[in-house]
Amino acid sequence: MERQLRSVRRHDTAAADVTPWKIRMRRVSAVSREGLEELSKSRTATLGGIMIVFLFVVALLTPVLATHDPIKPDYRDRLAPISSEHYFGTDKFGRDIYSRVLYGGQRTIAISVAAVAFGLAIGIPFGILSGYFGGRVDAVGMRFVDGLLAFPGLLLYLLIVTLSREWKLEGFWNDAILVFALGFAFMPEVARLARGAALVEARKEYVEASHVIGEHRFSVAMRQILPNCVSPLIVNATVRLGYMILIIAALSFLGLGTPPPTPDWGADLNVARDHMEQHPMIAIFPGLAICFSVLAFNLFGDGLRDILDPRTAER
Amino acid sequence: MLVYVLNRILQLIPVVFVLSVLVFGFVHALPGDVIDSLAGDEAAEDPEVRAALEKEFGLDQPIYVQYAVWAGKVLQGDFGKSLVTRRPVSVELLERIPATVYLAVVGIGLSMPIAVPLGTIAAIRRNTPTDYAAQISSLIGISIPEFWFAILCIMLFSLHLGWLPSSGYVSPLDDLGLSLTYLVLPALAIGFRQAAYTTRLTRSSMLDEVHKEYVDTARSLGLPERKIIYKYTLRNALIPTVTISGLQLANLLGGTVVLESIFSWPGIGLTIYQAIQLRDFPVIQAGVLVLGVMVVTINLLVDILYRFLNPRVGLS
Repeated sequence: MERQLRSVRRHDTAAADVTPWKIRMRRVSAVSREGLEELSKSRTATLGGIMIVFLFVVALLTPVLATHDPIKPDYRDRLAPISSEHYFGTDKFGRDIYSRVLYGGQRTIAISVAAVAFGLAIGIPFGILSGYFGGRVDAVGMRFVDGLLAFPGLLLYLLIVTLSREWKLEGFWNDAILVFALGFAFMPEVARLARGAALVEARKEYVEASHVIGEHRFSVAMRQILPNCVSPLIVNATVRLGYMILIIAALSFLGLGTPPPTPDWGADLNVARDHMEQHPMIAIFPGLAICFSVLAFNLFGDGLRDILDPRTAER
Repeated sequence: MLVYVLNRILQLIPVVFVLSVLVFGFVHALPGDVIDSLAGDEAAEDPEVRAALEKEFGLDQPIYVQYAVWAGKVLQGDFGKSLVTRRPVSVELLERIPATVYLAVVGIGLSMPIAVPLGTIAAIRRNTPTDYAAQISSLIGISIPEFWFAILCIMLFSLHLGWLPSSGYVSPLDDLGLSLTYLVLPALAIGFRQAAYTTRLTRSSMLDEVHKEYVDTARSLGLPERKIIYKYTLRNALIPTVTISGLQLANLLGGTVVLESIFSWPGIGLTIYQAIQLRDFPVIQAGVLVLGVMVVTINLLVDILYRFLNPRVGLS
């Protein structure tokens, strides 16, 4: 009996897998068109979406848009005011602030996206498997997550970044550790959310059906349950992208994220502190850039939440 | 209730265990030998001193024994000595706790009287210009980095207007008036973000309450709208607000590292920051552990408070 069912199932999935590519693409485009329509109904999501697209376009076009080398000092032109030569003025080394803000943005966005992706990649399997298997696996897994969550605010990052500094990591490895620290600290939140959703889903009938036809447990968890837990995770990841930008800025501001002279919003704000009195503009622009980007992700996340969470959408 | 409390306390043990293992592992993950990091260069070169130190720190033992010994000492409040000042770490930290708590509590205290009415009004007048204004300003509020806001405040109030000192700390026990002038800017920087956060929270939990059946019942009984809102809905809506603010307090304790370093505020955050700069590892280790345990404890108290305020939440 079971063997029969299995062969039926194998046949089914095989059939699903040979769906012509064109039909698949048509389905995908239909779903995304619907999604876009839904999104454009929400004003916050639309505005946030436009801001995010703007951010990514600017980040991609940075080499074209920048007017100066962001790192090369020019001592004849220190602390210059706003002019047609330097749109945002120059800092104490005579570097063009406009170009530095652009390059800093490119870097910040790349690191936050990588960190969120890393956090999701380890958090989702962790949470889904923990919620799905339940029992002892769940208890141990969740206590570990709680332990990580007990690190308040910046402290987990501070520990990891301090370690990386002691190991004298430079260039690529320094950035890799930053991504690791940010993603690792994001992991417990993802795991909790995924677990909560998986707990609810695991009791549903379709999961039992998959068991009956003998699908492997890992496969049930990752192929059946996971796709039904995505929506809270999408909202969370969006808002988290904004939060990542804030944390990167804070770490660099403390002198622990990005080493000088690499352009970075937080590090530039820290340098600007010394010249607040004579030259307030240098403290303004990197800060505005941070606010703009964080706001973009928060707006988009808020809009998404209203759409994806039917409970709040009713209001 | 008692069973629940005991249960929650038992659940803390593995959490604190994970926390302590990570913090313990931190020093051992430092490059080179622990002795290099703990004892300074001169001592590390001499093989005899080295052997003595290894014995003293118990480094000739297997790692789990080292952990057990370390954990035993920590439980007795012995975190070792600072590498910089040579004083016991526990003393250094104890001195710094009051300033951090002072700042965090005043910061949250400032935010509540602004945020709760604002969130309530926004929820009552949902989808009106008032609501949009409250929503947009709170969204902008949570998007502004605290340290940037702090810098802008210093630029305006200290450098431009010259009303307030730009950094420093005076204990309120020594001179209350002077202490307050130092407190204004850092507390403002914390309170600002906190207020934005709490406004959003109050609004959404008010909206949850307004749609419940008891509100309809009260209306059909002819109770005045004002009374329904202030006597019933707001009270219920405040339960999640208060509890989450408690959790925020815990988060603030860790987040004050940046603000304390801007304002030279001598709290735990500044201690950890300075220890990182000076590579004073025992202080970093202990500071993180102490803050972590404070956070876990506050979370526990808040959880218990929540069940107490809202007995409908299952005790399971």
